[in-house]
Amino acid sequence: MAKYSLGSEPVVGSLTPSRKREYRVTNRLQEGKRPLYAVVFNFIDSRYFNVFATVGGNRVTVYQCLEGGVIAVLQSYVDEDKDESFYTVSWAFNVDGSPFVVAGGINGIIRVIDAGSEKIYKSFVGHGDSINEIRTQPLKPSLVISASKDESVRLWNVHTGICILVFAGAGGHRNEVLSVDFHPSDIYRIASCGMDNTVKIWSMKEFWTYVEKSFTWTDLPSKFPTKYVQFPVFIASVHSNYVDCSRWLGDFILSKSVDNEIVLWEPKMKEQSPGEGTVDILQKYPVPECDIWFIKFSCDFHYNAAAIGNREGKIFVWELQSSPPVLIARLSHAQSKSPIRQTAMSFDGSIILSCCEDGTIWRWDVMTTS
Amino acid sequence: MASKASLPSSSVDRSDLHDDTQITKSQEQDPIPKEILSVIDFLKKQVAGERCNSVQKRMEENKQKLVGITTHLLKSSTERRIRRASDSDKGVDLLTKRQKDALDMQNGINVSDGENDRSQEDGHEPSAVLLGSNVAVRNAVRPIKLPEAKTLPPYTTWIFLDRNQRMTEDQSVVGRRRIYYDQSGGEALICSDSEEEVIEDEEEKRDFVESEDYILRMTIKEIGSSDLVLESLASCFSRSPGEIQVRYEVLTQGEKAVGCFNNRINEEISHIASTFLDKDLDAALDSFDNLFCRRCLVFDCRLHGCSQDLVFPAEKQPKWGPVGEENVPCGPLCYRSVLKSDKNYTGGSPLRSDLEEKHPMSSDGTGAQISKKKKSSRKAARRRAKSYQSESASSNAKNISESSESENELRQDGNTIHQSPPPNSKITGVGGIPKRNSKRVAERVLICMQKKQKKMAASESESLASVGHCPNDVKIKSNSYKENDDTSSSSRKNIRSPTVGRPRRESLTQQYNKFEQNETLNNSSNEIITHLPIDSCDDNSRIEECVDENLCKQDLAEDKSWKAIEKGLYEKGIEIFGRNSCLIARNLLNGMKTCWEIFQHMNYSENKNCSQVGDGSNPHLDGYAKGNNEVRRRSRFLRRRGRVRRLKYTWKSAAYHSIRKRITERKDQPCRQYNPCSCQTACGKQCACLLNGTCCEKYCGCPKSCKNRFRGCHCAKSQCRSRQCPCFAADRECDPDVCRNCWVSCGDGTLGVPNQRGDNYECRNMKLLLKQQQRVLLGRSDISGWGAFLKNSVGKHEYLGEYTGELISHREADKRGKIYDRENSSFLFNLNDQFVLDAYRKGDKLKFANHSPVPNCYAKVIMVAGDHRVGIFAKERISAGEELFYDYRYEPDRAPAWARKPEASGSKKDDGAPSSGRAKKLA
Repeated sequence: MAKYSLGSEPVVGSLTPSRKREYRVTNRLQEGKRPLYAVVFNFIDSRYFNVFATVGGNRVTVYQCLEGGVIAVLQSYVDEDKDESFYTVSWAFNVDGSPFVVAGGINGIIRVIDAGSEKIYKSFVGHGDSINEIRTQPLKPSLVISASKDESVRLWNVHTGICILVFAGAGGHRNEVLSVDFHPSDIYRIASCGMDNTVKIWSMKEFWTYVEKSFTWTDLPSKFPTKYVQFPVFIASVHSNYVDCSRWLGDFILSKSVDNEIVLWEPKMKEQSPGEGTVDILQKYPVPECDIWFIKFSCDFHYNAAAIGNREGKIFVWELQSSPPVLIARLSHAQSKSPIRQTAMSFDGSIILSCCEDGTIWRWDVMTTS
Repeated sequence: MASKASLPSSSVDRSDLHDDTQITKSQEQDPIPKEILSVIDFLKKQVAGERCNSVQKRMEENKQKLVGITTHLLKSSTERRIRRASDSDKGVDLLTKRQKDALDMQNGINVSDGENDRSQEDGHEPSAVLLGSNVAVRNAVRPIKLPEAKTLPPYTTWIFLDRNQRMTEDQSVVGRRRIYYDQSGGEALICSDSEEEVIEDEEEKRDFVESEDYILRMTIKEIGSSDLVLESLASCFSRSPGEIQVRYEVLTQGEKAVGCFNNRINEEISHIASTFLDKDLDAALDSFDNLFCRRCLVFDCRLHGCSQDLVFPAEKQPKWGPVGEENVPCGPLCYRSVLKSDKNYTGGSPLRSDLEEKHPMSSDGTGAQISKKKKSSRKAARRRAKSYQSESASSNAKNISESSESENELRQDGNTIHQSPPPNSKITGVGGIPKRNSKRVAERVLICMQKKQKKMAASESESLASVGHCPNDVKIKSNSYKENDDTSSSSRKNIRSPTVGRPRRESLTQQYNKFEQNETLNNSSNEIITHLPIDSCDDNSRIEECVDENLCKQDLAEDKSWKAIEKGLYEKGIEIFGRNSCLIARNLLNGMKTCWEIFQHMNYSENKNCSQVGDGSNPHLDGYAKGNNEVRRRSRFLRRRGRVRRLKYTWKSAAYHSIRKRITERKDQPCRQYNPCSCQTACGKQCACLLNGTCCEKYCGCPKSCKNRFRGCHCAKSQCRSRQCPCFAADRECDPDVCRNCWVSCGDGTLGVPNQRGDNYECRNMKLLLKQQQRVLLGRSDISGWGAFLKNSVGKHEYLGEYTGELISHREADKRGKIYDRENSSFLFNLNDQFVLDAYRKGDKLKFANHSPVPNCYAKVIMVAGDHRVGIFAKERISAGEELFYDYRYEPDRAPAWARKPEASGSKKDDGAPSSGRAKKLA
């Protein structure tokens, strides 16, 4: 993919910060000794827009961002299995509206915690290996999807505890799946990517009856007729190395590998022949010193900006939807040296959180320009 | 394209262009004239700018869409808050409470004792710890414990396979880079691929993209085409100048073609709709030949793949004839019904369409009636047939073997007439003559009686029989021939007398007639012709004319309405069913042509053939020769079959010996993959199977007499369960197509037992073929990871199940093996010299059976219907619920360290608590 033919070159953003907004560190806390792999704001219920969750080691912690850079610990959960190492966390909601924290990690068990009653709600056993990412369907927040080392992606109903679909098989990933994301508007569509260097787009349109069935299932979850989706509708070879994060930006896809950049591309599918198509790489957002895998970026609610950390503890905030891309800010702090595994942007992008390999959480607040 | 073409730089107009060209010519010595470069650069910038614009535009469009989406999402998340707030009285939402507490705390409102109490009443801590620079930090929130959940042993998601599949190209790991990072740092790129393989980034022939075309076209338009221009363009696109030149020519031609392009599209669209029926059969069968697996009888076979080599058996199947359905019209449009109603409806028009409409029901009724009558007469005919056949001299043997069953029946019917007493109503005859024609029947019977009195030889009586019903046939024909009818029957009498003197010739002619038994009108008039040449050639030509005329009127018109594919199907039908329009209509042309139409076509094409080939002379020589050929070919076939049988039963013949030897020779070597040979004669030294060292199988093209064929067994009491059985000894399953006595009963016998072959012992060597496997359960192994367990107890040597997986090449297996070694789990299984089974992503539960040096199962590669498959068998008695182990039998140098030295100490029976040293986890 190194070469682009004339007239299809991507628009590459300049690394000169526009200084449209400036951020400064307002808080820093050490959660523990073990690395923190995920941090995520709650975007599903507007009451909790300032609540976020982190995972690291065998702990899941829920915090709140308060005025003046204050972070309040609301809840803390510890897995009794000390060997558990959570890699990912996501917010979900039960059909009755109670907030769930869904976390997964090395043990391959998805923990669904009811944050409303502070109790474990369910544990999903089924993945054959560690879980690398969990995401929630924003339109139906009791559906979550998980990407696993066992080369599969699974769709779960947190309400009934059913594994509805397994995206794996003949056309599936050939190595660990590292990231997965729901399409923001097309409820049938997901994109997954992983260590086989590909991004795959799947459709569950033909299986949607099973999704609906899962809501009314009263029998044992194990008796549910879980279906295999063996063939994706599109396979994209955009990268030549592990693809560790992919997110939909409307109908486009943002994905990153270990090449110091985020790539925005458009999948152009052929209607007649599923699985085939071409990729049009539209834009590139360079991120220096970001050549290790398992570094994930995040967007604000309206997808205006994305924040990504790097190996050196710096954060790059890109304006996503402008062309050419504009670097909003480059955040660095003398004491932030550890690799940043994931960032989280608040609803309006005014707060950026980063969680680091050394177990610290950094809070950056936008500076109000007078 | 069009939009870009309309945008071109206005800076360069025609005159400039002209100047440029001149300048270029004058400056040809310059290495790279500035003008060329500047033009190219200008265009490049233009293209780049357009690209930017288009990206920008698309981003903007996408943004607009996203705004709608996120607004919607925001709305729904706000709704959630409201809904939640409205029914908040249901219970305490601790997250909301904690949130509020934290906020209060920050605002400095001390959590009052009362509140504290209240929350304690709820059984929850007051909570919330603030971590901030300006607020005092209270120590730790008490963590809530998540109870431990039992984890699963690791596995990779796999797909169940009930039969092996060949690997598809996209599953290959050969030539594909696999990246590893070391465990500790997670940074270093350890391994890409083994050294022996260079990942060649083959320079694909890139297609010219739109923008390149644009630059190319505009540059040449502006500064003309010269070597220099081409060169600089080439360096700009990083292609060769030759490529550019070719592309330019394509482009200029393309422009001219654009004009007529639109018209063509319209044409094509209208074309597509009818392509299916316009194709001829070969083209239509193309996909069938490519996609249909003749070994598994399925489309898109995952085991043998598409586009297999087509192997046509040297032995043709005998023509398929119906059993006991003769003369029953196959439907309202059956030629029989049509003919009949045609006759009944004496005053009516001979046009088929009329008849169809008016008499479908009546003809149906008659059909049924006839069939009833037929049955009674047929019984007699059968009885007669035996004596008749024995009676018939050797000269008739050919006839008997040749004639299909239907013909036999007809002939027997003819015979019945001789036998049965003359009451009118009973004599129905071939065509099923209704009572109305009693006068004619009587006449016919009279003729028969006369003939019978003549006491001819057996051959002669046969010819009589056919003559006996020939007039009958003629009578059935259309009204236009009514007159002919009488004349023909009378002429027949006349003709017959000279032929009596030449019985042999007569019988041959009859043979032909019989062969074409089912023919109508035109052919029956041909029958007349048969006899005419003896008298005069003039008559012959006269009748031929008459025939042609008749044909031209009806059939020629119809012939045109036959589409290519229908004709193709018709020809196949003739191959399969012989000249049986009922079967062809029902099985091949259902919904396209009716039986009657096929019947007509059959006659038409037959006549056309005759008149073309015969060319005025005896048109029958051709057909006669054909019929005769058929006889010869078939009889040879019969002889051959007889010999095959003999060979088949002497199972101690050389064939077995050599096979055994081969087996013993190759005991330690992997078996050979079988590929059917396409020899058309008995396999010689060139036979692919022989060269490959495999036996010929039933899928080979060679005849059954082939010496290289595996001949199956004819075990009975032994039930093919020991090495006594040649199949068993050769590590093959019995094949009911090949073995003589191998059969199995179906179900538990409550639904009846099929006809048993041989003695009452069913074959026990077909378990893989019939999938008669044991229920295997997947569970947590007592050793490590997953294990396979048996549900019901089985005896020694019982078949447990098949080890299925992807069939991959050895090269592929070597590559995958390296990957699997890293994960310390391997599901590879050597199958034969060509393939390795890999159950990593596709397989069945038996892939989880662990390795043990003291196993209770063993695996065996067995040839089942031409394919090698792996069966797992019980090595000893295994009781229900026991875990299954087998020896993976690693090649000594390839075994992983733990599998090299069997640690077990003879103790076999340690079912309950197997020591961890006994078996080690592999899968």
